[in-house]
Amino acid sequence: MIRFDTVNKYFGDFHVLKNINLEINKGEVVVVIGPSGSGKSTMLRCINRLETITDGELTVNDLKVNDKKTDINQLRRNIGMVFQHFYLYPHKTVLENITTAPMKVLKQSKEEAEKVARYYLEKVGIPEKADSYPSQLSGGQQQRVAIARGLAMKPEIMLFDEPTSALDPEMIGEVLDVMKALAKEGMTMVVVTHEMGFAREVADRIIFMDHGQILEQGKPADFYANPKEERARLFLSRILNH
Amino acid sequence: MDIAGALSVDHLKFLADGFKLTLYVAFISIVLSFIIGIVFGTLRYANIPFLSKVVAVIVETIRNLPLLLIIFFIFFALPEVGLKLSPTVAAIAALTVFESAMLAEIVRSGLNSIDKGQIEAARSSGLTYIQTLVSIVMPQALRRMVPPIVSQFISLLKDTSLCVIIALPEFMHNAQIIYAQNINFIIPIFVVVAFMYFIVNYCLSLIARRLESRQA
Repeated sequence: MIRFDTVNKYFGDFHVLKNINLEINKGEVVVVIGPSGSGKSTMLRCINRLETITDGELTVNDLKVNDKKTDINQLRRNIGMVFQHFYLYPHKTVLENITTAPMKVLKQSKEEAEKVARYYLEKVGIPEKADSYPSQLSGGQQQRVAIARGLAMKPEIMLFDEPTSALDPEMIGEVLDVMKALAKEGMTMVVVTHEMGFAREVADRIIFMDHGQILEQGKPADFYANPKEERARLFLSRILNH
Repeated sequence: MDIAGALSVDHLKFLADGFKLTLYVAFISIVLSFIIGIVFGTLRYANIPFLSKVVAVIVETIRNLPLLLIIFFIFFALPEVGLKLSPTVAAIAALTVFESAMLAEIVRSGLNSIDKGQIEAARSSGLTYIQTLVSIVMPQALRRMVPPIVSQFISLLKDTSLCVIIALPEFMHNAQIIYAQNINFIIPIFVVVAFMYFIVNYCLSLIARRLESRQA
């Protein structure tokens, strides 16, 4: 479904992604971990072309993401994205936040879009916040709205870029619960996170990145029990024993 | 000082005529420069190849010229190339040109102040660049722009008095004619003139404050 074929990316002289080869299948939950600055987020952001790749080939559903002929807006409506800092629209209510893209991009009627929005708000557990503004919500609630906003486009793929890193510890659980439920329903998910418990429980595959390379990947049980790479071992010991 | 003589009915009527023209010229210029300012500011913000550069050159040139020079140019220089404008039209044209450039910069910096993450969130949901600009970036930016835009409008209203130099019969111009007749009229007339400018501009700032507190 998502395929990186010897993808490289540079920011100026800085080689951010080095020869990335990766294939993600439909329904798979892939968790990307690694030290900060290792290129995890950049790799994720290439998938919906928030970043462009320098060379190699990246396809989503056999469509070349960086091809000029590819209608990027068409591609993006099929890929939901959740950001570390939520990026809800502060001037719109929760309901309007969720209905904007379905109405403008999918040309849904207001009634239809609101029905869908309320369904997903129910699903993320905050139906009563439909008419609130983002500033009236806690961080965890805002992030759940952001997830509902992504889901309302009925995407095939959801990308999560450190979705819990900006949250107070007591709010992380509520967001992870929503993501776990989503994974169980068979959504294709690519998640950049430091939440090792979540990775262990939900991921089909863990990808460890460092210095722009994928150093190791495998099933969570194998990876955590017996990381092969020295750097992965070091990273895990730092993150788990503190 | 001759207060009764200065503020005779005829004089007050004459002042009122001037004041009406001041408000008229300011109002038309505000509406026109607001529209042009939004368009130019957005074009410069949007980084369109070539076009944004052209707009930038125009805006920077005008912004760095004195308004007085622009008024002179439009009223005295344009007739030399065959474009003769009445004082009222020349005043509106000069104020619009100048204030559009000032507003364009306010609009551009307002748009720039919106977090790039807002744009990424909107674009990643499939909205086009234009849709993102119109329904996500611009509404947020406009709220932030209210205070600087209103102070620009206040400047504009005060700057209409510069049109004295092209004999536009506006408020300041008519006031001058009255106090030029008699030195004892100067202080009363100045007080009235100052008071009127203050009232209108103060109302504008009150409106701005209302708009500002409503969004908070």
